[in-house]
Amino acid sequence: MRYILITVMFLLSLILPGTLFHFWAWSGIKPDLLMLLTIYMAAHHRRLSSLLWGLGAGLLEDFYLGRYIGMYTLTLLVVAFLSNWLTERWYRENFLLTTFMVFIVTAVGQICVAFLALGAGLQWSMADIAQLVFGVALYNAVLVPITYPLIHRSFQYGWLRYRPRYER
Amino acid sequence: MGKRVNVTGIAVLVFFLLLGVLISIRLTGLGSRFPNPVGGAMQRVLSVVEKPILQLGNGIRDNTKVLWNFRNVEQENQELHKKVDQLTGDNLKLKEQVLAGLRYSELDQGVFRSPTLDKYTKVGATIINRNPTSWYSTLTVNRGSNDGVQINDPVIGDLGLVGKVVSVSPTTSEVLMILDGEGQVSAVVRDSAGNGTFGIVQGTYKRGSRLTPEGNLEMLFRRADNVNVGNLVLTSGQGGVYPQDVPIGKVKEIELDPSGLLKTAYIEPLVDFDSLEEVYIVKMVGAK
Repeated sequence: MRYILITVMFLLSLILPGTLFHFWAWSGIKPDLLMLLTIYMAAHHRRLSSLLWGLGAGLLEDFYLGRYIGMYTLTLLVVAFLSNWLTERWYRENFLLTTFMVFIVTAVGQICVAFLALGAGLQWSMADIAQLVFGVALYNAVLVPITYPLIHRSFQYGWLRYRPRYER
Repeated sequence: MGKRVNVTGIAVLVFFLLLGVLISIRLTGLGSRFPNPVGGAMQRVLSVVEKPILQLGNGIRDNTKVLWNFRNVEQENQELHKKVDQLTGDNLKLKEQVLAGLRYSELDQGVFRSPTLDKYTKVGATIINRNPTSWYSTLTVNRGSNDGVQINDPVIGDLGLVGKVVSVSPTTSEVLMILDGEGQVSAVVRDSAGNGTFGIVQGTYKRGSRLTPEGNLEMLFRRADNVNVGNLVLTSGQGGVYPQDVPIGKVKEIELDPSGLLKTAYIEPLVDFDSLEEVYIVKMVGAK
């Protein structure tokens, strides 16, 4: 059940920004739900599992987009690593801290995408990049109070509950 | 004692990882013909879910527009009332003009109609998704290689050019909009007498924001070129991707270059890209 639910969540994270969130975009800015989900996954797994989830999510997004393969793979790998590293040091039960963490990590992830996009030759002005990075990070952070309590509860006690191999 | 970290090893690993990713990104970029069978299969499966969700979003937007945007709707209503009055007057004038002489309308037909477009087969397509990231301006439509769609096929809306197909799966295609900074169109600006000035229409990020469709199309000209505000911009047919005489937009503003040699025309697209729901894909292969 856990893996079915995770698969559904990943697929919805891919579909919703281009469909439903297109209508709730702020000046063209949509949330990066897959990045948000990767952060949640990394916050509730051990380091290696986090990296694998980040890698898988990145590959999924790259193949779904069908171009610039590697851009999101590397980005979500970095995002997963950073999220995991931060949650090891911060309380993940503190929703305010988690909101701040999502803001920071999303901003780093979007900067990573921007860096790779510029490397790939895409033409973006610094002002637009700054607006996009800040906007997406803020949008993702706004979604935390709505989504995180449910996800966190599910990871602790519900269908998403994760037990490392040594605990089983 | 803590574990010893091999900094050189990590640095080498990170370097090669970054190099590999950059090479991969370059090889699978917008111009490439990366086949992407995994993505194609995903698009095929997910398009079943995407279409109803987008329709749901459209429905919610249309039905709640009045709640979120009451002032705008009221203003729009007043403007529409004015327009109806104006159009009623225009209609009467037009009837008089039709009776008075047909030569102006013949000229208009010669300028605005696109006989070249009639040579090609067009496939109607519904937009089922927009790019989930804000980094590119693309659309996904529900027609693919099973319907004969190919990469680089032009895509048009009811009022003008939308973009071109950049990737195709059996049941879906991805369309790069002309607004995107990576999309360029060979175009001609026609004045009221029908004379043309050629140039390239491209997405710009220098003026407005790349994140919104307003003010994002531009064309460069020599200062001496006869281009004025209000002139119609059409595809030139050169370059082999777009057919001739498909409307793109109208010249909204002209700005002189500080050097005094060039001028930039900012173009207002005819198509409303935000509320686009249906498009035509023009099949360039097998023209009549």
